[in-house]
Amino acid sequence: MRCYINRVITAEEVSSDIKLLIPDAGVRRRMSRVIKSAVTTAVECMGAVEEIDSLDAIITATGWGCLADSERFLRNIIVDKEQLLNPTPFIQSTFNTVGGQIALLRHNHCYNVTYVNRSHSFEDALLDAMMRIADGESEKILVGAFDEQTPSQHRIMERMGLFRKCNDGEGAVFAHITATQTPESKAQVEKIDFLQHPLSEEECFARYASSDSSKLLYNNYSEYGLFPTSSAYCFAKAVKLIQDGVKEVVVYKEYLGDTPVVLIIRCIG
Amino acid sequence: MEQLVKELKEHLIEELNLEEITVEDIDTEAPLFGDGLGLDSIDALEIILILEKYYGVKLANSAEAKPAFYSVKTLAEYIMQNRK
Repeated sequence: MRCYINRVITAEEVSSDIKLLIPDAGVRRRMSRVIKSAVTTAVECMGAVEEIDSLDAIITATGWGCLADSERFLRNIIVDKEQLLNPTPFIQSTFNTVGGQIALLRHNHCYNVTYVNRSHSFEDALLDAMMRIADGESEKILVGAFDEQTPSQHRIMERMGLFRKCNDGEGAVFAHITATQTPESKAQVEKIDFLQHPLSEEECFARYASSDSSKLLYNNYSEYGLFPTSSAYCFAKAVKLIQDGVKEVVVYKEYLGDTPVVLIIRCIG
Repeated sequence: MEQLVKELKEHLIEELNLEEITVEDIDTEAPLFGDGLGLDSIDALEIILILEKYYGVKLANSAEAKPAFYSVKTLAEYIMQNRK
């Protein structure tokens, strides 16, 4: 069971004007920060908004969801005493808003699922994509992850002492994945493994690396910050390392005691 | 009336997140839905909330909504007639 990665884009790499990526001002104006960030990353990953037509699955992942809109909606409930609640924050607070908005840009009614499984949401989304490809149900899939940090979330995490060793983080990453190799294919996802027990760096390398030249990205929170889908950034980095000549990258992620996950990305061939 | 129209436009811009639109850009007599500002059904719900929240005006029945929500001018007139 494997799939080919054609493009991977992080939110920080989006260079196009949001008005070109999301031309409809009516759609754009209701989007919160995280939705804008995730949807523009998705469209940039596809190259153009029209390319969304070619997708036969849109699979998104998030650990926290659209946190700012959720907080706004809950705050309105308290301040307005459960009366006069604005519909927009409620609609936009749902986890599948990003997947839905991507599909709505081109009215693509393909398979559209959002995984909200704590820190392995992204890996579950990727696993779903690989299983759909293995079963012959999808050929071209957009897989992405997004999370946003808010001041209140930051305060809670800080009080829990979670930022002693690394900073907070947020972001969005989208990847265009295909069943067959294309001229654009940059790497392939070889394996996803969910572990029962954590592994040390040495144990992980010994168990999963196929050669001494393999590269291990082990809990890279110091680089991308602490948020549930930060491993999507490691996934993007792994693809870049493969493009730079590394044959195999092993990504290990264990987030706050959650199920450890290992991803193996390999060069094509 | 002029002050109310200006205030209403400010609330519409703020509550409906009308990007890059200023008070001056909104034609007081132009349709709010379809042509003109191009608002939709979710915006209609937001406008109902603006009327209740800022002016204490409740929409008595849905039949009143269509003429009242036609433009900023008709909205302002509806507020003037129904404000307590």
